[in-house]
Amino acid sequence: MSVDLTKSHRTTRAPRPTDARLRRRSRSAVARSATGDRWLLVLIGLVLLAAGIGVTLLSYGVFGTARAGRPLLDPIIVDTVAADPVLWRAIAIAGGIVLAVLGLAWVARAVRPEPRPDVVLDGGPDTTILVSSGAAAEAVAAPAGSLAGVGRARARLVGSTAAPALRVTLWLTDDADVRAVLRRLDGEVLATARSALDLPALPVAVRLEVERPHPAPRVA
Amino acid sequence: MRAALRVLAPLLGLALAAAGVLVVIEVVAAWVLPDTVGLLVPWRAWGVTLANLSWNENPVPGIAIGVGVAGLLLIIVGLAARRGDVRLEAPTTAMTVTTSPRVLARLVGTRVRASDDVLSASVSASARRVAVAVLAWHDAPPDLREVVVGGVKELLDALPLRRRPRVAVSVRKQEGVR
Repeated sequence: MSVDLTKSHRTTRAPRPTDARLRRRSRSAVARSATGDRWLLVLIGLVLLAAGIGVTLLSYGVFGTARAGRPLLDPIIVDTVAADPVLWRAIAIAGGIVLAVLGLAWVARAVRPEPRPDVVLDGGPDTTILVSSGAAAEAVAAPAGSLAGVGRARARLVGSTAAPALRVTLWLTDDADVRAVLRRLDGEVLATARSALDLPALPVAVRLEVERPHPAPRVA
Repeated sequence: MRAALRVLAPLLGLALAAAGVLVVIEVVAAWVLPDTVGLLVPWRAWGVTLANLSWNENPVPGIAIGVGVAGLLLIIVGLAARRGDVRLEAPTTAMTVTTSPRVLARLVGTRVRASDDVLSASVSASARRVAVAVLAWHDAPPDLREVVVGGVKELLDALPLRRRPRVAVSVRKQEGVR
């Protein structure tokens, strides 16, 4: 485990989160959240669907044949814009800037890699111990992979530095007793990790996979 | 659907950003250079076309229907892109345990195919339902379906599933000799 000693003035630890918060954080650690992307997609879809339905109804004269016969670029709109061009230009520029910023923020959020927070330990007055994310994850993955019924294991820290969580993927063997594996993971591996990382309330998301059987050799 | 969401999200973000930048560029250009016909977008020509086209003329209804269908597809992708994980009981509240329907289907399939009377089996699984379609040998016992159902239920009992899925098994016999 790599340790980085740096000076710090941190003296108090964050209060221990409640069970409900821990449960919520462990659920969030299952996978990278796509909720924001999903709702933005649904929102854009709703806008397009409403516009499509509205224009279709307008085209087929549902709102009146006279209205359906008016030009797309209506002279009323042209006259309104021409009456106060500065105002409408300012509105268009502001709208364009908002659209560009929102779009770029969405792109940045969608392609940004998931953060891997380091764990900051309180090493006493003026000292902070920094455990790198990779080292902390390896310290969990190695013993988890050696549990009975587990073929291999992978772990990574997710969340933020202030509220880290652990994501563990276990590839179980055919003869694995799932309940026993989970009990030993919590009682042995995670208990040690929580103690070593000084995180008594470390939320954990466990993903279970099945180890693929190795194919038999085609030539004896 | 999850993969479609991962692709669509940055593409739509880029499209929004590009539209915003184009609006700003064209409005500023038209403001500074009043005689311009458009730097990147021929909006004056578009304006003339739109002014001579009414709502009930083609291709307006067709484009509107296309936009509506595209919106519907986006809604479907957004709603269907949720994770279909199978939840399991965890020993503590600080732990969440999940597996994929694919893993559950593999476990069930391995158990079902272990029987000598089963020629092949296809399994589809979710958190709510496990469906097994068994192709059995012609001389398989008549109670094979009950045996398979019992085996699958025994397997599900051994897993600490938070919600026990319903089990549906169908058996079809293979013609010919074993």
